[in-house]
Amino acid sequence: MEVVGRSPEAVRDAVLARSSGKRPILLAEPHYLSLDFFRPLLCVEGVISRPRPDDYRTAPVGVTDAFAAVARTGSVCVDIGADIAGYVSLLPRLHIAVVDIHKLVFRPSDLFRLEPFARPTYQENFVFISGPSATADMGPLVRGVHGPHELHILVLS
Amino acid sequence: MSKQMKSPREIAAKRTKEILRRAIHFALETESSAVRHNTRTFNRSRYRATSSLPDYDALKDEARRIKEASLANRMALVQQLSESVMRNGGHFFFARDAREACQYVQEVCKRRQVRSMVKGKSMTSEEIHLNTALERDGIRVVETDLAEFILQAADEQPSHIVGPAIHYSRERITALFRRKFQTDLPLDTGEELTRFARERLRSDFLAADAGFTGANLVSAECGSLLLVESEANIRLSCIAPPLHIALTGLEKIVPSRREFAPFIELLAASGTGQPLSSYTSVFRPPLPVPVSDFRGAGPATREFHMVIVDNGREALAQDARLSEALYCIRCSACLNSCANFQVLGGHGFGGATYSGGIGATWEAATTGELKLARFSDLCTGCSRCVPQCPVRIDIPGLNVELRSRLNQLVPLSIVARTLHLLLGVPPVENASTQQIFFAHYDRVARWGTFFAPLSNFATRIPGARWFLEKSFGIDRRRHLAAFPKKTWVEIAAKELTAMADSHRGPDVLVLADVFTNYGAPQRGVDAIRCLRAAGARVRLTKSLPDGRAALSQGMIETARIQAETLSKYLAAENAAGRPLLVVEPSVLAMILREYRKLLSAESFANLRSFTGDLMEFLARHLAQQAGDPRAIFDIRKFAPGPKIFYHAHCQQRAVCDPSVTVEFLQRLGFQVTCSQVECCGMAGSFGYKKDFYDVSQAVSEELVEQWKAAESANGPHTLLASGISCIEQLQGATGRVVLHPVELLAKML
Repeated sequence: MEVVGRSPEAVRDAVLARSSGKRPILLAEPHYLSLDFFRPLLCVEGVISRPRPDDYRTAPVGVTDAFAAVARTGSVCVDIGADIAGYVSLLPRLHIAVVDIHKLVFRPSDLFRLEPFARPTYQENFVFISGPSATADMGPLVRGVHGPHELHILVLS
Repeated sequence: MSKQMKSPREIAAKRTKEILRRAIHFALETESSAVRHNTRTFNRSRYRATSSLPDYDALKDEARRIKEASLANRMALVQQLSESVMRNGGHFFFARDAREACQYVQEVCKRRQVRSMVKGKSMTSEEIHLNTALERDGIRVVETDLAEFILQAADEQPSHIVGPAIHYSRERITALFRRKFQTDLPLDTGEELTRFARERLRSDFLAADAGFTGANLVSAECGSLLLVESEANIRLSCIAPPLHIALTGLEKIVPSRREFAPFIELLAASGTGQPLSSYTSVFRPPLPVPVSDFRGAGPATREFHMVIVDNGREALAQDARLSEALYCIRCSACLNSCANFQVLGGHGFGGATYSGGIGATWEAATTGELKLARFSDLCTGCSRCVPQCPVRIDIPGLNVELRSRLNQLVPLSIVARTLHLLLGVPPVENASTQQIFFAHYDRVARWGTFFAPLSNFATRIPGARWFLEKSFGIDRRRHLAAFPKKTWVEIAAKELTAMADSHRGPDVLVLADVFTNYGAPQRGVDAIRCLRAAGARVRLTKSLPDGRAALSQGMIETARIQAETLSKYLAAENAAGRPLLVVEPSVLAMILREYRKLLSAESFANLRSFTGDLMEFLARHLAQQAGDPRAIFDIRKFAPGPKIFYHAHCQQRAVCDPSVTVEFLQRLGFQVTCSQVECCGMAGSFGYKKDFYDVSQAVSEELVEQWKAAESANGPHTLLASGISCIEQLQGATGRVVLHPVELLAKML
């Protein structure tokens, strides 16, 4: 996790630094952060926002926004109901989630207490993502199973 | 014997004691070391995670309330859920039994021309044997949870509800994959094995026609599912294929998504011991996400089916003494904290689907066959799981009830029938010779003491131990403590009345429990001496059976009669409400915990109000006094020195705080190392029984290891334990004298 400046360029630079040259980078259209934060990133070659099925098979990096972050559990909440965020946060080996620092809550249960959240129509499909996919079924703990091998959270200050 | 066994499936259905014995030996020989490592890792992580939850107890209360209310309202919730699912554009089906559930899924698959299905871990699908049904239709079913992937390759039943393959070591998985998949790929590390499975499964995910999942909870109000996982295979099963079938038991439905909240952190902490698992999904299928055409089959629309299964749950809900099992959220805390489960795993201590202490009720309820709960015999009633359960299920209570019902299934031998008559055992008990023997410890011991030393000599004549093993199932390898010539009550009456009370301190009543009275009278005398030295005026009660021994044999009616008799006697004897102090922790826990179900609420509350642990009372009393306790208990008089290795009794830890004893000993100048095990393995009569001797010994190994580690690091330690059976177990395993805390203190007077 890292805290980055609240500017489109800072988002672009942080994503590129974390991707360490790997391409393509899949970008799911943000629904909670302004698209403006991602425009410079979209101009970078190898950043794709309209992937074809084959891109999901091969892309090493996926970028989504998150509508909340949870301090105690180190989680981000990603809405997978809209568009392609479900695939982008799941199939590439590195998932980068970008979240606004003002959307930080302390515990998962705090989200369920928020008035809009209690309405069944609000954020119908989402995931608390608290780390890369992992297993201990093969003996020792192994990171990277069916989902990302690495999770990186960018918090916009 | 296990050499001849082709698969653990042969011992999955434990209908008879013989199969249970085979399963125990198979588990101890083949699976124990992996199971020990994995369950103890889970267990340590859970203690860490739950202790960092700021409101752990409040969360448990809330979770319990939600489960109680939801189960009470279950049929209305099912109805509401069916409407929600259909409103969302999904399909809903309520399956009365396993056959209906499988048929429905088969029909959906047939209509959608499903050839392959990717599947998330689901115990409910194991319960209804869904894979077998689908495979009969020619569907390729792919288990994608890596533990289930291993089991599917090996064709075995799960051994744990959260980690179904915990009985597999890394080395055994390597051997299995080499044999099964005929591959030369590197498979010698966890990373390599995971990579192999991932690459195989990734193409299955993207090519599958259907995805199948269970659900941790379901919201009736909006039809949302709570899905907890760490591998991402459930997320993939939900999103990649165009068809999603979710199937779960009716007990998983709660009113709305708001009720998911307390379970989210509680489940992760109690299960894998994490703040949260990698993925906690809240989905309301069918997902509004376009289907990505991975299969190259052209555009497809999403379809969702919610299958809610009864399969014995409704009958269980109406069974007042067992219905609590339905609150289970399948976190596995009770398995990981169970000393017997830690050495056996679910192939020994479990059935075809469900395992451990909670599993017996589930196995019986979902198969409709009580006999399949036979493995509940492995629950010793140690109660270590009780404080670990996030919904506060009284798991030992369920197993006592099952044992009582299982007793009814066995025709009595002539000897057992005679004993019933001779001892006035209520006919309803239908108890075996062995059960009557252990349940009537007080009678056996009274005769033994009466005829001592003749009775002790008798157990040493050739053939006597063979006879005891044959007739009562008492393992001949187990050391039998000699009966004393005089009981605690007799010694106290003769010798202690001569000792003057100092009349400074409080009036207390000490319970002459049957175990100390006949089994360790001198310990009882030491307890009185310590209390008197601390200034208390002590009276000793009569020695009456408390019901613990009977309850552990499933003889609930006998236990109830004994509890009522003791309770009446104590209420009359103790009208003044003096503290009633108990030396033996199993008896203390009997009164403070088990009497809730055996006595009227009023009698229970009355008894509970004045009953406590003797050592805890002594420590607290002296802490309130002005003087230094070291003036009474002088460590310099204890020659072996200040280093102590202390094992607190399992049931004691469920009802009182053993750290009070530890802190008191530290105040007196001792350096105390505490055992970090759940139970010593003796657990009253359990370790004496021929069928369970090996389990009991296996459990004690960890305790002995910890004691040895303490000694190799810091030199000799005095062994200390608080329960009569823990002391027996430790003495047997170490060959050393083991003291009770009051015996230690008495040596310092």
